[in-house]
Amino acid sequence: MSETAATPPAPAVVDDSGWQRLHPATLALAIVRLGPGSLNMLPAIVALGIAGEWVYILPAFGLFVLISLLIAWFRWLRFRFLVGDDEVVIESGVFARQHRTIPFDRIQDVSIEQGLVARALGIAKVGFETGAGGKENDANLNAIALDAAQALRTTIRAHRSGEAAAPAATADAPAAAPDAGDRLLFAMGPRRLLIAGLFNFSLAALAVVGAGMQFFDDLLPFDFNAFNPGDWIDLAEQYGLDQWVIAHRWVAGVGAAISLLFIGFASGIATMFFANWDFRLTREPRTLRRTRGLTTRTDVAVPVKRVQAAILVTGWLRQRFGWHELRLQSLASDGEKERDHQVVPFGRLDEIDPVLDEVGVARPDAGQIWQHSHRIVALGPMIGAACATIGGGIALWLGNEVGWLGLVAAPLIALIAIWATRFHRWADLGEQVAIRRGWWKPKTTLLPHASVQSVDLKTDFLQRPLGLATLVFGVPGGSSLASHEIPAIPLGAAHDLRTRILAARTRR
Amino acid sequence: MTDTPAANPTDPFDPDAINAAQGLDPVDPAYAQVLRIATALNLIPIAIGASVFDALLIRHIEGPYGLITAAAWLIAIIVIATFPSRRVSRWGYRIGEGQLRVARGWLFRTDTIVPFVRVQHIDVGQGPIERWFGLSHLIVHTSGTHNSTVTLPGLHADLAAAMRETIRRHIQTDFA
Repeated sequence: MSETAATPPAPAVVDDSGWQRLHPATLALAIVRLGPGSLNMLPAIVALGIAGEWVYILPAFGLFVLISLLIAWFRWLRFRFLVGDDEVVIESGVFARQHRTIPFDRIQDVSIEQGLVARALGIAKVGFETGAGGKENDANLNAIALDAAQALRTTIRAHRSGEAAAPAATADAPAAAPDAGDRLLFAMGPRRLLIAGLFNFSLAALAVVGAGMQFFDDLLPFDFNAFNPGDWIDLAEQYGLDQWVIAHRWVAGVGAAISLLFIGFASGIATMFFANWDFRLTREPRTLRRTRGLTTRTDVAVPVKRVQAAILVTGWLRQRFGWHELRLQSLASDGEKERDHQVVPFGRLDEIDPVLDEVGVARPDAGQIWQHSHRIVALGPMIGAACATIGGGIALWLGNEVGWLGLVAAPLIALIAIWATRFHRWADLGEQVAIRRGWWKPKTTLLPHASVQSVDLKTDFLQRPLGLATLVFGVPGGSSLASHEIPAIPLGAAHDLRTRILAARTRR
Repeated sequence: MTDTPAANPTDPFDPDAINAAQGLDPVDPAYAQVLRIATALNLIPIAIGASVFDALLIRHIEGPYGLITAAAWLIAIIVIATFPSRRVSRWGYRIGEGQLRVARGWLFRTDTIVPFVRVQHIDVGQGPIERWFGLSHLIVHTSGTHNSTVTLPGLHADLAAAMRETIRRHIQTDFA
């Protein structure tokens, strides 16, 4: 190690002393991962069962576990990494070797993630955020000891801020006290989580529970379906209440409704607590850092300069109470599923404003004059409504009563669609464009002009006679399915806006 | 009618009017031949497939033999003869003040502008059919998720190379 320190310009250590392996407890993680993996065994077990060779099942399973562990161990043996003076080198692969060098300069930040088992073992998964798009480009160390992970982050951060040109060895000391530059921007306590959970009323979980109850109806030792009012009457019967309940049928209905509500609220609160427990958003010298999670704790950093757009999401009801959610679109994606970084899951606007200030985005005030999209945006739902009418008509003609459903739904869909067009609006705020859409789930996108990489001006055979155009913006990051667009605005306005946006200079 | 001849870009029967009214240059007319050959390579196998299907199955079940074959070849010939030149006339481009503008399509028209400073890298590509006609296509890569690549086909090979040099100079000057 001293040799390395003596010759700082040397790009990599030649001898093996600097190489490190992953934490041995990683093998324990491999065992945990066997759980879902053992499903591969299912066909073999079924085959053995059909053949009547039950004695072989246990040895076969043992063999499978052994082989899996052996593979995990080989992988562990052939994976090594080196933290040099100004780069991280990772070598991996059992047969096909991969040698990857990541200069510290290119690492935007280091994320640390801990699952439930990893927390018990004191290890953490370290991800290097390089800003190179695509999952396959993300390098990570899965997993090393938590304190080593934090030391590694401190090393890289110190290098990036340029204050420590000193060898990496000195930065291996335990994480220093929080910088003067670090300050808490937003945090969520249990009380806030509870309120957020109440607004997070989830019918999706309800559907799962309902489907499960249908599915297990025959399997459950007791015959009870919370969604079936008849079952509530049966339950009452056992206590001699049946006469009273049949006389007051609404009691059964209320019972079913209460259980529905309970499941909806409970699942909403539970998901909120699991995802956002001890939520903290801190401002660090060049990043916004977010830690959260009850079982799986994640520690993610969003480089401020990489933020491309801010997205304010709220709901029809929560808007009435002044609650909003803030997401930031960045070059990197947030975890496996989410494309945008959720930096304020549930907060007041005056809590969101300081966060927006940090990324240099302003929120339009209440007096903002919005321009509206043309009513033609309702065309899609209108076609849907027409299809529902036709489908319902055909069903009725064939003698199926369900057809009425289509005939009733169609005008409702059409009316809501026409009414919802009022909520498609946009405003040019000088340095940025604000795009609002949605009535049930209002979403405001704040897009700085400087983030726009390209602009499409689209017209089609319907919009052209009406003198309309749709603007679509090419912005780094985010989902490729949900691009930022302003639909159906007057052609002249679209041309003006495009000219203004393209005139903007590169950001900062 | 006399004062502004190109003021009616919505005229569907005059494709040149769109490009002229929007201040765009047309792509090389030879690109129509490239598109025609590419379309033929796509459609003729389908027509052959339809003929085989007709001969083997429809004749076997004693249906109206010959109908599908005739329709398939007729449609293929009409499409190959007429569509490519129409499609080509609706491509347009403009190298403007520090920006590249590419427009395409009529039924669904898309007019894309990419400022040179936003270009990540540039490709000039040439397929075998394009080489036959001395054409190239220019592909501009941006870092946006939407429009990460903008393609402009039907450029004379020299022009494509010149455009690449123009854009490349701008990329360099921005970071200098």
